[in-house]
Amino acid sequence: MIPLEWFLCLSAILFVIGAVGVLTKRNAIIVLMCVELMLNAANINFVAFSSYTGGLTGQVFAVFAIAIAAAEVAVGLAIVMTLYKARDTVNVDEVKLLRW
Amino acid sequence: MDLNFDLENSYTAFYPMLVIILFAVVLPAIHRLVKSSKGLAGVSLVGILISAAIVVYNIMDGYPDPIVFNGTPMLTFDVFAAVFSLVFLSVSALVCLLAARYVEKDSHLAEFFSLTLLATAGMMIVASASDIIMMFVGLETTSIASYALVAFRKRDRLSTEAGVKYVIIGGFSTALALYGISLLYGLSGTTNFELMNEFFALNGSSSLALLGIGLMIAGFGFKIALVPFHMWAPDVYEGAPTPTSTLLAAGSKSMGFVLLFKMLLVALIALKADWEVVVGILAILTMTVGNLLALAQTSMKRMLAYSSIAQAGYVIIAIAVATQFAVESGIFHIITHAFMKAGAFIVVGALIYKVGMGEKITDYKGLAVRAPLVAFAMMIFMFALAGIPPLSGFWSKVYLFSGAVEASTVFDQGWLIWLAIVGILNSALSLYYYARVVKYMYVDKPASHDKIRVPTTMAVAIAVCLIATIVIGLWPDIVVDYCAQAASYFSQLPLGRPW
Repeated sequence: MIPLEWFLCLSAILFVIGAVGVLTKRNAIIVLMCVELMLNAANINFVAFSSYTGGLTGQVFAVFAIAIAAAEVAVGLAIVMTLYKARDTVNVDEVKLLRW
Repeated sequence: MDLNFDLENSYTAFYPMLVIILFAVVLPAIHRLVKSSKGLAGVSLVGILISAAIVVYNIMDGYPDPIVFNGTPMLTFDVFAAVFSLVFLSVSALVCLLAARYVEKDSHLAEFFSLTLLATAGMMIVASASDIIMMFVGLETTSIASYALVAFRKRDRLSTEAGVKYVIIGGFSTALALYGISLLYGLSGTTNFELMNEFFALNGSSSLALLGIGLMIAGFGFKIALVPFHMWAPDVYEGAPTPTSTLLAAGSKSMGFVLLFKMLLVALIALKADWEVVVGILAILTMTVGNLLALAQTSMKRMLAYSSIAQAGYVIIAIAVATQFAVESGIFHIITHAFMKAGAFIVVGALIYKVGMGEKITDYKGLAVRAPLVAFAMMIFMFALAGIPPLSGFWSKVYLFSGAVEASTVFDQGWLIWLAIVGILNSALSLYYYARVVKYMYVDKPASHDKIRVPTTMAVAIAVCLIATIVIGLWPDIVVDYCAQAASYFSQLPLGRPW
């Protein structure tokens, strides 16, 4: 059986790739994809911990998290669409009417 | 590994949220019959009132049994949940009153009210959750509904830009918090708050737990805009339609505190030594940076946004102090802040709606001549936010700071006194930018002498906030008793009552 640590390493790598992507990528759609990567890293953790420690709570949580992530990305993509219609761009560097 | 579905469960504990969700689902259908935004706001208010009546009935008549799943409670509608549900329902009612006229020219009206109600239901679920899964579902219900609400004006460039920023920051913070929670679950093997606390009390801390706590604080810190996770808040509050800004500043911010209260003060209280200093530093940073940046603002909504960042810093003191009295004062401040901040945003919204003014603070020059009652209400809200006696904001700050002072002497944690000192200095600092608004309204000459008449629904909303701010200021005991009962939910904490 694959040791638990391997799953944790996989999820940590995915999480870091996602986090770096969110912070460096400028295309809003790629940023949303990176957010999905981070959420799924957490799901891997939940399922891995759940099957190694017994108890189904983690797997139930992962199912909920998948459903929530899907809803989130659906709303997110819709908002990016309206941005594209209003401004002709999905580049987060070009949307700066509101100053940070 | 078996899952036990408790078919005997009574779902009475879910009724207050269920009513709200039903109304939210039915509203788009009602839109076929009721075309005007006033009518839809009226229907939403009926839903909110029914739900509030159920909550009040629960408070009077005893609380329902928790909903149990697989042997552990998932949803407990206790006094803590009831108090916060009433706060969320009042904020949502105020938002509906403001939106009744504010969004009247927009399309997709039913969706606006429907999403507002769904966001409220999510907040109520968070307040009554006794399991992280339930809390997470409630949190995301609110978040996803408010992403859509922020980007509600599809053709408005500011609104869509604020929406994109909010959805990206919101998703990122959810992911951070979820990863942190997954580590805490992996260590303790449970998602129940009480059971997780028992595990950590028995087994102590580990580096993985520290990582989990750090990620979780960062994720939830984004939700309530703690410094250094605050950059999104002013942009989103400024770009969003004003009713949505009200909901975010008064409603979903309060929900963020509930998240941190439940995670840190129930599930992770055994590891207090690990996180108390971090939370204390966050409190000091949030208060100071929020107030300093608010000084420099020229836009009214941005100034209010920075002011609510600073107010979040005051509430976080309660978590760092971690006594029942501190939590009580934290809840008290959340309640008073909800009314003062909602009131200020509603005044801003009413003026934007009526005369298209109010985006700049200098636009408020001479408001006392043009709309004496609105200017008076705004003055009360500003003074209450600054903490001038005898208004509500004064008492909640007194409670917060005396809780910190008490804990620093009685529980031998000398550093806590610094939280109170920095908080008091910050209150003095914040008086500058609040008083500046009052000076513009009352001392400076108006640009025009046309009278401004605020629509009745908005006037009612302003009046409710005004009465709440003054009455709680004169008789704080009305609310404090319930805050104290709600704080008894945190039975792990020492009492720490200074009087």
